[in-house]
Amino acid sequence: MKLCYYPGCTLKDKTTNLDQTTIAAADELGIELVELPNWTCCGATYPLTEEKIANLVPQIRILYNVMVEGDNRVTTTCAFCYSTLKRANRAILNDPIKRKRINAYLKDDKRIPEYDKETVYNFKDYNGEVKVVHFLEVLRDDVGFENLSLKLKKNLEGLKVAPYYGCKLLRPPEEMEFDDPENPRIMEDFLESLGCEVIDYPFKTDCCGSYLSLSAPDAATRASHLILNSAVKNGADLVALTCPLCYYNLDRRQEDIGNRFMDFSPIPVLFFTQLLAIALGVEDEILGLDQHYIDPSPLLREKKLVT
Amino acid sequence: MRAEISTKNIRSEFVQRVEELSGQDLLACYQCGKCSAGCPIVEEMDIIPNQAIRLAQLGLEDEVLNSKTIWLCASCFMCFSRCPKGVDFSKIAEALRMIAMGTEIEHYGPQQVPWEIAAEAPQQALVSAFRKFSL
Repeated sequence: MKLCYYPGCTLKDKTTNLDQTTIAAADELGIELVELPNWTCCGATYPLTEEKIANLVPQIRILYNVMVEGDNRVTTTCAFCYSTLKRANRAILNDPIKRKRINAYLKDDKRIPEYDKETVYNFKDYNGEVKVVHFLEVLRDDVGFENLSLKLKKNLEGLKVAPYYGCKLLRPPEEMEFDDPENPRIMEDFLESLGCEVIDYPFKTDCCGSYLSLSAPDAATRASHLILNSAVKNGADLVALTCPLCYYNLDRRQEDIGNRFMDFSPIPVLFFTQLLAIALGVEDEILGLDQHYIDPSPLLREKKLVT
Repeated sequence: MRAEISTKNIRSEFVQRVEELSGQDLLACYQCGKCSAGCPIVEEMDIIPNQAIRLAQLGLEDEVLNSKTIWLCASCFMCFSRCPKGVDFSKIAEALRMIAMGTEIEHYGPQQVPWEIAAEAPQQALVSAFRKFSL
């Protein structure tokens, strides 16, 4: 099966481990992820005021290009990309004024030297034709978690994993329609299909502090500590997540957390695709375990999952 | 805090502008406080989210625009997904930020990011922070 893939900017620089493990794991499952040619930034956050229509153009340009490539679905693993693309698509579907104005921007998209009347006249409006799916949804709906557990080369039995959703995947629930906002199951079901022992803890849907990590780092440190400490206290060996920014806050920020909260004990943080890649027998070099601040290798070696 | 409550403030242009930008009905909020109870950043705020909405309802422009709270919302939508009245505080905070910025283009821009942080922070954090905290 071929599937159009939008990696997003962070996956090509700071978290190449997420990008590589996604592609390798999909390959093991017989899914060829075809990277969208000439993709651009998704704009990261969805604009929340009615007047910021121009901030919706990057998202729709990406979806328009997916349509031009002849695809009707695009998948991504980054929670920010997923959220902003899906919400922008929803705005296009439900708001005729935004649809008209954004298409007017896209129509003028050609650089001036390439500008020719023909493409402008033949421009086909984008009306929300492309479906945005998260890679977890592909695993659940296209592969199937039961089917996935039959394809494992290594069982992750004995690994106690705390799933972390964060904010962007789940909320606002009416727009994301991803899972139950208060009691989501998709990550738990996924981890159980890999054989992991799922650790339940109360902060799995709380925000990690997001981009406040830059403008108000203390707030992000406190929010991240609450989440990680709760996972540790409930007996988790590691935290699994999908978002590169959550990963930065929960992994890299453990230095600040350790300095501020004396009773804190560090815990490795991994992307869900890294666990999937391990279970599917992807080579250790592709896992990118050296990119973590808290090194997960000792734990994974102890469980005989990597060499 | 001493504040003047008057119909002049409640029907002010400021209140209309907040409602127009955010698309939210401010008076829908009946101050149950569920937003503040669930907010993961509430401990860092000087006024809590439901208080910020109350100040906006009453048209107390200076009080709400000078609060730290509007710059501490990470738009995680915990408040909105739990609000029994469907009021989206994240949208109200964004509208208040836009009004507070006025013509000051950047509240938080590239100059404020220490280079060692810029070198290791994920791109999406930089893009989001600049999008939220500058015009």
